[in-house]
Amino acid sequence: MLVPISWLKDYVDFEMAPEELADQLNLTGTAVESIKYLGEGLENVRVGLILDIKPHPNADKLSITTVHIGRPETLEIVCGAKNIKVGDKVPVALIGAHLPNGVEIKPARIRGVTSYGMLCSQAELKVGGDTSGIYILPKDIEVGAPFAQAMGLDDTVLELEITPNRPDSLAIIGIAREVGAITKKKIHKPSINLVESPEKALDYITVEIKDPDLCPRYTARVIRNVKIGPSPSWLAQRLQKAGMRPINNVVDVTNYVLLETGQPLHAFDYDTLREGKIIVRRARKGEHITTIDGILRELDESMLVIADAERPVALAGIMGGKNTEVSSATTNILLESAYFEPKQIMRTSRNLGLLSESSARFEKGVDPNGVDRAAQLIAEVAGGTILEGIIDEYPKRIEPCKLPLRANRVNEILGTKLSLNDIVDILERLELAVDVVTGTNEMWVTVPTFRPDLEREIDLIEEIARIYGYNNIESSLPESSGKQGGLSLQQKIAESIKLRLMASGLSEVITYSLADPRDIDKLQVPEGDSLRWFVKLMNPLSEELSVLRTTLIPNLIKVLKYNVNREQYDVQIFEIGHVFWHEEGKELPDEETMLGIALTGAWKQDEWYEKARNVDFFDLKGVIEAVMDEIGVANWSLRQFNHPMLHPGRSAELLIDDTAIGYFGELHPSAEADFDIPRAYVAELNFNKLIDKARVSAEFSEIPRYPSIDIDIAILVDDLVPNSRVLEIIKSEGRPILEQVRLFDLYKGKGIPEGKKSMAYSMTFRAPDRTLKDEEALDAREKIVAKLSKELGAEIRA
Amino acid sequence: MASRMGLEIMYEEAKDAIEKASDLRELDQIRIEYLGKKGKITSVLKSLGKLSPEERKEIGLVANKVRQNLETDIAEKQEELSRLEIERRLALESVDITLPGRQPVFGNRHLIAKVIQDITNIFIGLGYKIAEGPEIELDYYNFKALNTPADHPARSLQDTFYIKRESIHPSDNDILLRTHTSPVQIRVMKKQGPPVYIIAPGKAFRRDVPDPTHSPMFHQVEGLAVDKGITFGDLKGTLEEFTRQMFGKDRQIRLRPHFFPFTEPSAEVDVSCAVCRGAGCRICGTGWLEILGAGMVDPNVLMEVGYNPEEVSGFAFGMGVERIAMLMYGVPDIRMFFDNDMRFVKQF
Repeated sequence: MLVPISWLKDYVDFEMAPEELADQLNLTGTAVESIKYLGEGLENVRVGLILDIKPHPNADKLSITTVHIGRPETLEIVCGAKNIKVGDKVPVALIGAHLPNGVEIKPARIRGVTSYGMLCSQAELKVGGDTSGIYILPKDIEVGAPFAQAMGLDDTVLELEITPNRPDSLAIIGIAREVGAITKKKIHKPSINLVESPEKALDYITVEIKDPDLCPRYTARVIRNVKIGPSPSWLAQRLQKAGMRPINNVVDVTNYVLLETGQPLHAFDYDTLREGKIIVRRARKGEHITTIDGILRELDESMLVIADAERPVALAGIMGGKNTEVSSATTNILLESAYFEPKQIMRTSRNLGLLSESSARFEKGVDPNGVDRAAQLIAEVAGGTILEGIIDEYPKRIEPCKLPLRANRVNEILGTKLSLNDIVDILERLELAVDVVTGTNEMWVTVPTFRPDLEREIDLIEEIARIYGYNNIESSLPESSGKQGGLSLQQKIAESIKLRLMASGLSEVITYSLADPRDIDKLQVPEGDSLRWFVKLMNPLSEELSVLRTTLIPNLIKVLKYNVNREQYDVQIFEIGHVFWHEEGKELPDEETMLGIALTGAWKQDEWYEKARNVDFFDLKGVIEAVMDEIGVANWSLRQFNHPMLHPGRSAELLIDDTAIGYFGELHPSAEADFDIPRAYVAELNFNKLIDKARVSAEFSEIPRYPSIDIDIAILVDDLVPNSRVLEIIKSEGRPILEQVRLFDLYKGKGIPEGKKSMAYSMTFRAPDRTLKDEEALDAREKIVAKLSKELGAEIRA
Repeated sequence: MASRMGLEIMYEEAKDAIEKASDLRELDQIRIEYLGKKGKITSVLKSLGKLSPEERKEIGLVANKVRQNLETDIAEKQEELSRLEIERRLALESVDITLPGRQPVFGNRHLIAKVIQDITNIFIGLGYKIAEGPEIELDYYNFKALNTPADHPARSLQDTFYIKRESIHPSDNDILLRTHTSPVQIRVMKKQGPPVYIIAPGKAFRRDVPDPTHSPMFHQVEGLAVDKGITFGDLKGTLEEFTRQMFGKDRQIRLRPHFFPFTEPSAEVDVSCAVCRGAGCRICGTGWLEILGAGMVDPNVLMEVGYNPEEVSGFAFGMGVERIAMLMYGVPDIRMFFDNDMRFVKQF
């Protein structure tokens, strides 16, 4: 909504500068998007009169014009446009002008002829969008006058953003009312004095409303013998400043009244209406209408049309039809002003993809009053006589509503101490009539029809708050006794896991919950796998973001790839986020929080003290172990995990207390190839299960009082023997004095027979209640060694 | 047998040797030579018994004196040599302190997560708890219960992601990606009675093509307080406290009336620009930066969850985390948050 300040001042007196006005409007709920200063850059542009046009001697497409700019001497200006003729008045940018589009005007030789200025288009002056030719100015404009003043452009325009609940603000008078309420001034609406001819409108037109629910009111006037032509400058200028293109005097008046009052109007060429009838009805299946934008539109029963005796002539409240459009040949006018049911307008407008100034207002609710203002203006600017009587079909009356309001409630909600008088004053400034119930703090408030948004007491409280000023309301804090802030236990555990991951060198990432279903193919996931139970979007933006992710892994891989492609080869990341599965028979899809991890490259680059080392399976396992440690879980185990996305020899499933929590491992070379990334390690754990399994209270265990005995053993075993098997034996044979055992060396290769490996363990023996004797530890060692060689064929090395 | 003279000569020799000793080991040799079990002075003292009483007295006196002096001299020398030894070691062990240190590897929190944590920590301090909800929501929680009319533009297929019907269990209710974290309000209030003080951070989705200021997924933090006697003044005071803690003590807020279906009165809230402090500059334009939307919970919302709006009232507010992060850290493009370029992630 564009509001020229000069126009606004027709209805309300104020002295404020535009900037201050904008501030005041902003703080009372009318958002000012921008302030446009129209005259800027037009200082050296004048109104010129074309006296002569002759062809340029050296250029076919150029001509040389002689222009009178109100000075004794005329100017020769070279021009390339074709739309000018002698006698036209045009904007002339003089030497020294700096136009709003950045062009600076200097004397210029163009193909051998010197040009002393420039004739301008609307676009060059930024006063309109027309780039097709020179801007031809109205005839009644004074030659030589500064262009900006002559065109009324020494003005400021506020660009407003009107919220959908305030259709009354889509009108200059509506904004004037707001300014009046802010500045405590009464507004003056244009007075209407109609001169009617003795002929009766009713003899010319009958109006029938077939569907009063969709059209509660239809008013019309007939004006005869108008002369269609361009609008006078003042009218055309106001429309342009408010962002509308002038068309002809009659259409311009309907648009002018639309902007002034917010009431959309439509003018029909009366003589094109069949049988002098207006019927407001639903469209019939198969009916068509070509709207005035020239588009043929197919109609159906859901749409409301204005029809004559035979055919639709307008899409009610949205746009008129070509068949009854006002043209230069029109002499008699039927002027329509109606009220259409907002939801119906919105639906039709959406279905047809057709938004107009009119539909924008009807769909929010307009004030169903007033066709006379337009009739008066048409008579003023297009001549013609207004026939006697207003046709007013009003089958469903829209009455101002009355709302109860309690002053105490106002103060309870706002935290203010407003008096009854303060409240009444504010409401009355908004043109709401207040009737205080004698002897009480309660009142009845009559809401005028132009405020369809005020339906409840709380709506009135909001009005009071915004006019009183949000920033005048005193700040306080809730005085509750019952509130205790804090994290839940689960949230605390989640945070501790996150901290541990970061302390382990992993950075957090956040990726879209939306995913590309084709990524699952790249992960080599077979048909039917639960990772393919996608929740699909009905209206995705693209295939890449068309489903909800069922796993975090592809997104993490893509983060690795994004970085590797940018020469960031060392990427260690985690994400905690939701994944989703479509599940039959549930109200909502399954939604689970997962912890995803992805590692590639080295933790650290080469340093002066240490060479870089690329991460491997055991770096990933170390991170998993750190998480287990963080949540205090000792009873976890691993199991072979066969998933096509992972390297079969370097992957595992994680279990806690025999519950599967997730998996981790090296990405399968095929997946690496399909995603085109270097060697990478990934993990995905069910985060909620992790938190559930967390041991929340750690318990003190005695610090040993007696010395321990440390014994190392090195054994030679078959390469296929897993560490876990060796540990099992050591632990069971070392009981009860074995406190701890730790693998401290693993060696294959030179000096070790093919197919064998050397493993060295450090064992700590201790008794809790006494100093252990050397023989006891040595006996335990013997038992362990015997068992290892018996069970595993282990050879004891020196 | 040593004479008095002999002892004095012996002392001079020893003194000389002590002075010349260059390390502790050499000094110890000297000590052993003179004062050890078989040392020269020790021998003299041991053989005193063979002397006559007069001699014994005289020589004994001198020998003891020499021993004491030597002990003192050696102790002094020992101290000196120890000091020298430490000095030598220190000189030898000096490092180039300009070499880089061995840093443990550390990861970073994502900036969005960090900003969410900063916000939620402030509200935890004000007595709020963190509530969470699903990203896929029923239309009921996302729109209907929040007093959003059926034909509200936000509900259109242009603006909201809907879930394909055949891919889920058929129900009368549309399923969608939540467009804000406000549905968490409804879920919490339906589960518990007042008082409610919650903050709900999380992801939200709108059908926007990614560009520097739009993203189909973003983060929101929603706040809700419902209790007896909550006022608009409480909302203002709460947001002021939040602003001071989040943006700095000297920052101000400004509330502009606005319209949201689920609050009334509603406001958009601006914080004064850090650069110009509200005067208007190149960064902010008007002196104010919009940071959140807020308002008093609409009575229709309270009734929908079974609260009596005559008994309790409340306020709610919601802020876009990316926007706040962009303002606070000068991030120029919202897409950077989801590219996860390590050179971006590691900055914060």
